[in-house]
Amino acid sequence: MIRLARQSMETIGDLNIALQKAIQIELSTLPPYLYAMFSIRDDTNEAAITRLQAIVHEEMTHMSLACNILNAIGGHPVIAQEAVVPTYPGPLPFDIGADGNEPFRISLLPFSPQAMAQGTHIEEPEEPLVFRNEFALAAEPTFDTIGQFYGNLDTRLKQLPAGQWSTTPRNQIGDHPFFAGQLFPVTDYDSASRAISHIVSEGEGNTQSPLDFEGDVAHYYRFEEIRRNQVLKKSADAPEGFVWGEPLGVDWSAVHPAIADPGEHDFSGDPTAQAVQDQCDFAFTDMLQEIERAVTGQPGRLGNAVRAMFDLRLAARVAFTTPLIGSDRAAGPSFRFRVRP
Amino acid sequence: MSVLDTPRIYFRGEITWDPIVTNNYSQLYDIATSKPVLGNGTVADYRELARTTIPGGNWNVHGTHRSTLFETTVTGVDVGNGTDRTDPLVGAGVSFAGKLVDLNPYLSSSSQLFYDDFSCGIQGGSQILGKGAGPMVARRINFARNSGYRVIAGVASVIWQASIPTEQLTCDPHGSPAVTRLRDLIAGDGFAGLTIRMNAYRTVYYNSESDDPAQVQKLAADIAGGGFHPNPARGLVVGVVGPWRHGEPPSVPGDRVLNQVAGSKVATAFARTGDGRVVIDLSNSVQETSFKVDKDDLGPLELVAKQAGGDVQLGTLEYADYNKDAYEATSGIVTLQLTDAQQAAAETADLILRRTNGAVLLREQALTAAADVPNLYLEQGEQATVSLTVRLRGRPPGGPVSVMLAEIGGPLPAVQVTTDDTGRASVPINGGTPGSWIWVLLPWQGQPPTAPAALNPGLFEYLTLRTTPADDDIAALEPTWDNVHANVLRYWEALAPCMDNWLRLGDEQQCAAYARIVKRLTSRDRFDRYGYMPVTRELTRGQRTLLHRWCDTVGGAAHDKAPAAAGRHLDLAADVSPVEAARDVFGRGF
Repeated sequence: MIRLARQSMETIGDLNIALQKAIQIELSTLPPYLYAMFSIRDDTNEAAITRLQAIVHEEMTHMSLACNILNAIGGHPVIAQEAVVPTYPGPLPFDIGADGNEPFRISLLPFSPQAMAQGTHIEEPEEPLVFRNEFALAAEPTFDTIGQFYGNLDTRLKQLPAGQWSTTPRNQIGDHPFFAGQLFPVTDYDSASRAISHIVSEGEGNTQSPLDFEGDVAHYYRFEEIRRNQVLKKSADAPEGFVWGEPLGVDWSAVHPAIADPGEHDFSGDPTAQAVQDQCDFAFTDMLQEIERAVTGQPGRLGNAVRAMFDLRLAARVAFTTPLIGSDRAAGPSFRFRVRP
Repeated sequence: MSVLDTPRIYFRGEITWDPIVTNNYSQLYDIATSKPVLGNGTVADYRELARTTIPGGNWNVHGTHRSTLFETTVTGVDVGNGTDRTDPLVGAGVSFAGKLVDLNPYLSSSSQLFYDDFSCGIQGGSQILGKGAGPMVARRINFARNSGYRVIAGVASVIWQASIPTEQLTCDPHGSPAVTRLRDLIAGDGFAGLTIRMNAYRTVYYNSESDDPAQVQKLAADIAGGGFHPNPARGLVVGVVGPWRHGEPPSVPGDRVLNQVAGSKVATAFARTGDGRVVIDLSNSVQETSFKVDKDDLGPLELVAKQAGGDVQLGTLEYADYNKDAYEATSGIVTLQLTDAQQAAAETADLILRRTNGAVLLREQALTAAADVPNLYLEQGEQATVSLTVRLRGRPPGGPVSVMLAEIGGPLPAVQVTTDDTGRASVPINGGTPGSWIWVLLPWQGQPPTAPAALNPGLFEYLTLRTTPADDDIAALEPTWDNVHANVLRYWEALAPCMDNWLRLGDEQQCAAYARIVKRLTSRDRFDRYGYMPVTRELTRGQRTLLHRWCDTVGGAAHDKAPAAAGRHLDLAADVSPVEAARDVFGRGF
């Protein structure tokens, strides 16, 4: 379970900071999830890919919803600055997960039990539901889980005077042309609270069920399904209502032979691999720049961001299939913020 | 029959419609050649030409053809005792992603959804999961559905139907009586699987409730500014899943047909009688009068069996039976209980739906005919056999029936075939001249019918044919990149800018690196799959031959021609993943 140092949310300035933090939290989850997903070999792991794609998709909508809330209270989301883009391996933004000790460090890991365990750690709720073969940890005081962080945010937003909200949609991203049914404008507390509810529910489920508000398995439990290689099944006989069931069909060997944390690799003597890394970094940075434009008053740029996402996907595919010099292993994308020269 | 039988599952939600519509225009697309009209222009010229047609109605230059259900859930079940909302499946999500393709892109009457999976519920819980076995087909388009909302095709509604064989279904009840009953039923004799029938209506374009020229201009400007700018429409949908019996047409309603009469505001409906009740499918029938889809109040509607000795009243539908709430609760399906005498009358006489003032709205067409494959693709020179099923008031006719196949607007004389006693007949069809044709199916006994001059898709069942040219000259070309690009890939590149997201079709190195994947996705045995390329199904035999020869030539060298990392490659030998082919990147993130 990762935890955040409790965030002051007394002033509108505090709320701006908290929402920017939320944006960065959501952004920071994408590279490790994508690295694992892109590393899976073709023709394999259908169930795992389906789950990872859904998680990535929803994390992107979570970041957009956080931007919508920040914009609705007059803020200015920052996405495409080196200072707000995490590096890997490294801590999550604001030393999230430190718990007063060493910050929790996120790595870019090829598809593996370790990569999935990292995902469950990121998404773990305060009180995860425990099914047979317990895997949950106990809660700690004074620090917030992501769910608690959003809960506190919701409480404070509720106290904002109505005049603080931009009732005329301001820099909002809706669900057209992308993300049908997943995004909506935020113009008041009710819509902000709904957005927060979506984010938390899809990430963690709730205290009674591992399912989110749409009846789908929440991220935490999806990662756990993959890690365990077991389907989470409903069971009328189990007191918790669910049990770990039949195999999911995970093949841990069906992965491109990639190194972890390519950001730590020295590509200086490997111009071919360096060129591939350049393409990945530039596409990633293009995407962030276009997203920032889209959420700061140019919504039409979202289409440019999506095009850059696909460029990143193509570049990542090349990266995972390009061996490092003198090696039988490849390096996936490093997800570094590097502006095209 | 089928979805009008029990048990059945109701669902409701929304769906996206994201086709490229550039090929709807004859100046931009030639259906006879199956190619965009590029002339001597470049791909960039063509794309810019398409962009300039946006103000003229080309509302989705960057479409992906993807149609996805969203915010769609099971709303109720009926195992034979009326609507039940306590079944564990109720509230479960319904998932479906298809590729919307018009067999004839000039027309609105030949749409299909090519899909791989349909599901209600999730793995590990109550679930029905089906693997697609042929496209979902649109029929009975109703161009007068919504009198209060008329933007582009927002006025219209249409029935979609597909059937999935038992062996391609997984039914996990997890305590759901409805799933249990369906699973057990379709395992028995006489059942072929499950049928899905949906009604799509009130489609919204440009994400706007009204005509908005500013949105049109914005789309054109966004595209001019680079990037990827699809403009999916979205509509409402209600649907039902029910048993599919052997002998029932898989892709079009095979029930009794109550046709719209002249002057009626109620469009064609379907009905089934038996087991002491009559079940009427009004999903495509009663108008809405506003954007909020309030139903037209026609007052009480009487269902009668029209006998020579006098009408037999079967029941009355009050407004509460067909208003918006009722429609959304049971997907437009209404059940009336019958006495034995009423049922006997209903099964031997034509049904009529009328207002209490006697004005007839719907009148049964006793003899019906449907094709097992209502939308047929052939390559020039091929021949296929189409199976027809004729029914008399929803049942096998018990004797031979003639069926006229009357070509709409074409030069061929009508073709006559005769069924066997069970109502089955076969028709050989040749793929002669490239292009597209429509034949109306007119079953008859006694006097032969008069062939209609035009297709009224609301009244007629029909068969459409698309024949792609042989392009033998293209097949004979040397398999060089220049030839492949000029004669195959540049057409997709021009028509489908969305392809830039997946594969740059003008980039020789990239295409060569993915040659094996391209060959696989363009193979004809994948024609009905979600991920078939090109999505418009316009690849000709000659083009495929040339493309595959080129793929074979460069495919072996793919290891040495990674798109960006020339000189080294680890693993491009792997073909495209069925996962990737099935999970479209546009709706699921990457």
